[in-house]
Amino acid sequence: MRVAYFSPMPPEPSGIADYSALLVPALHEHLDVSVVRRGAKRPPRGVDLSVYHIGNNPEAHGWILDALRRTPGLVVLHDFVLHHLVAGVTIGRRDGHGYLDAMEREHGVVGRLLGHGVLDKRLPPLWEARPEEFPLAGEVLSLATGLVVHSHYVEDRARAAGYDGPIARVPHPAWPDPGVAAAQIAGDPLIGAFGNVNQSKRVPQLLEAFARVRAEHPAARLLLVGATSPGFDLERRLQRLGLDGEGLVREGYVDEPRLWALMKACDVHVSLRSPTMGETSGTAIRALTLGKPLVVSDVGWFAELPAGVALRVAPGDEEVAELTAALQLLAERSDVRATMGAAALELATGEHDLARVAERQAAAFELAAGGGVVADDVLREVGEAAAGVGIAPGTPEAAEIARRLSEVDLGG
Amino acid sequence: MRIAVLRPQVPFARGGAEIFTDELVAELRARGHEADLVSVPFKWYPGARVLTQAFLWRMLDLDEADGRKIDVVVATKFPSYVVRHREKRVWLVHQFRQAYELDGTELGQFGPSAEERALRRQVQELDRRALSEATRLFATSANVAGRLERSTGLVAEVLPHPPQALPYRNAPSEGFVLSASRLDRAKRIDLLLEAAALRDGFDMVIASDGPDRERLEEVAHARGLDGRVRFEGRVSAERLAELYATCSSVFYAPVDEDFGMGPFEAFLSGKPVITTTDSGGPLDVVHDRRTGIVVRPEAGAVGEAAVWLREHEAEAEAFGREGKRLADEVTWDRAIARLFA
Repeated sequence: MRVAYFSPMPPEPSGIADYSALLVPALHEHLDVSVVRRGAKRPPRGVDLSVYHIGNNPEAHGWILDALRRTPGLVVLHDFVLHHLVAGVTIGRRDGHGYLDAMEREHGVVGRLLGHGVLDKRLPPLWEARPEEFPLAGEVLSLATGLVVHSHYVEDRARAAGYDGPIARVPHPAWPDPGVAAAQIAGDPLIGAFGNVNQSKRVPQLLEAFARVRAEHPAARLLLVGATSPGFDLERRLQRLGLDGEGLVREGYVDEPRLWALMKACDVHVSLRSPTMGETSGTAIRALTLGKPLVVSDVGWFAELPAGVALRVAPGDEEVAELTAALQLLAERSDVRATMGAAALELATGEHDLARVAERQAAAFELAAGGGVVADDVLREVGEAAAGVGIAPGTPEAAEIARRLSEVDLGG
Repeated sequence: MRIAVLRPQVPFARGGAEIFTDELVAELRARGHEADLVSVPFKWYPGARVLTQAFLWRMLDLDEADGRKIDVVVATKFPSYVVRHREKRVWLVHQFRQAYELDGTELGQFGPSAEERALRRQVQELDRRALSEATRLFATSANVAGRLERSTGLVAEVLPHPPQALPYRNAPSEGFVLSASRLDRAKRIDLLLEAAALRDGFDMVIASDGPDRERLEEVAHARGLDGRVRFEGRVSAERLAELYATCSSVFYAPVDEDFGMGPFEAFLSGKPVITTTDSGGPLDVVHDRRTGIVVRPEAGAVGEAAVWLREHEAEAEAFGREGKRLADEVTWDRAIARLFA
């Protein structure tokens, strides 16, 4: 079966590009996958299915949304909140009316008025200030003939938004351990946080909690890896908390080998997020591969990690206190770290195993391409058999047949 | 208890699953249960018929029969487990293998078109849905349980069942290798014939019948084995027990077999088994140099094993005794106790 695969690919700096680079070779075991060149407007001739990877970044996914608009197909929905993407393909292309239309389509007149406020710069950009309230996923959902998602969270939100097509929930695949040596960084324990340094990654809360932990565990160190987002004054915060000396190790954007080396050096990984766009964290997945215990926000996909793998911290008033308690526990109990790490590795090699994930993705693709015909065939044959013995549509007997078909997902 | 044992039936065909389910019903009755066999014909082609025929099971109402409740249903192989019941226990003989490990092989059914790929996946979805409804899930071998877990993520307890009831006994070896597998290609009896063509030192008795018989007889003739192999066809229970009792070893090497009663029948007769590394279920009990010989699926290796077991009678007897010890552990009492625990 031939599949046209629309996705950012390396060297684009995108987590979804990394994801596809990992997955596509494994999908080739099951399917004839043609990765569509960036910017293509249509799938190649003769394909059975077009698959569109949609995320929130307009640089990486704008052209994919354009192609989806021309040829509907299966969408792998990496984020549920797509406001930034929609803003990028409207306002970013000098199409303010398109943005207003999108806001009105999903949020009515109030949405349109808010959109005007953004365009007139009377309101801060909603994709930065309140994206979770205005996800703007409606257009993508309306074009998707089926969805592949990574979490119950995104599945539930898509259903809540009225999507009634088939949804396959397929976990994010785990990268294999590349076997690089751990970076030599002191810390007992060494706590790592990876990704952009900003408010939505809860860095202020992490710094505050870590300062409290370090008061009791002076040997503990925090490794902060990733670019600092514009407007986020890290230095001032560190000074205020007394972390500008020995307590913190800072690295900016790092390449993949260095990322693995740094991650391997850590005893504990912190992966916080609020608000969530519905995304899966690639670095959290890498932490699973390395068998590291996690501390995560109790939101979205992160909240679906098993309790034995990740300690969950709810964003809000008690966040710093909960985060402090979680880090204290893991700082003091190497046995807990070991047990959680083993559970993380088991999750990576089980549920997130690359071959298993590829098999499930291929199943979703194959059902999306031919499932409609199969369902029609089944319904026709069952319907003819029922009619042959006098069971007419609308009768209780026909309703029972429909109910039984539905129970086993046979198109009833 | 009132128990319905569920069996799809391919009309005019009879094999291990039929023997198993017949004996299960008989053994349940012998233990005071009110047991009966519920059978529905099964045809898996063309196209989506594999699904519509499976769906027949979903429409059955087995909550009660003739006004009396059915306490438990025991589903066995695809698609009997599609049935609805509040106490659905599955003792899995096999799934629809064409949708799984046989896909893409010469024994596969589904072609490369998008529709046929989807049909295969829909069978898998049906399995996942129907099997996850089971209140207890057993598999007849580790091979079947492994396939199930890989394909659906569902975990089954391994619960082997005893072989067919025969007047098993042990007697001195008369030096021949016995094959009692049904004569079809998947049972790979050619491998034994090719082994004999490469190695002198053992004769063979083929005691069964099947669609591949004519071809196998031609192979034997073409390889000059006319004096060394005897095709006896389907034999009586007494004759089969006699052949088991007097052979030097039993050849049993199907491709990726689900369970395989052959090794158990050999062991109950105190005889070692020759099998191959890719035979699947038999590897649960045929352990190399302990209860038989496990070789690569190559004629030369099979021939060497057959000659070795004939020439080393003491070791062959020891393997047979160890096999019997294993087979004696697999009783209907134990199996039924676990099934309804």
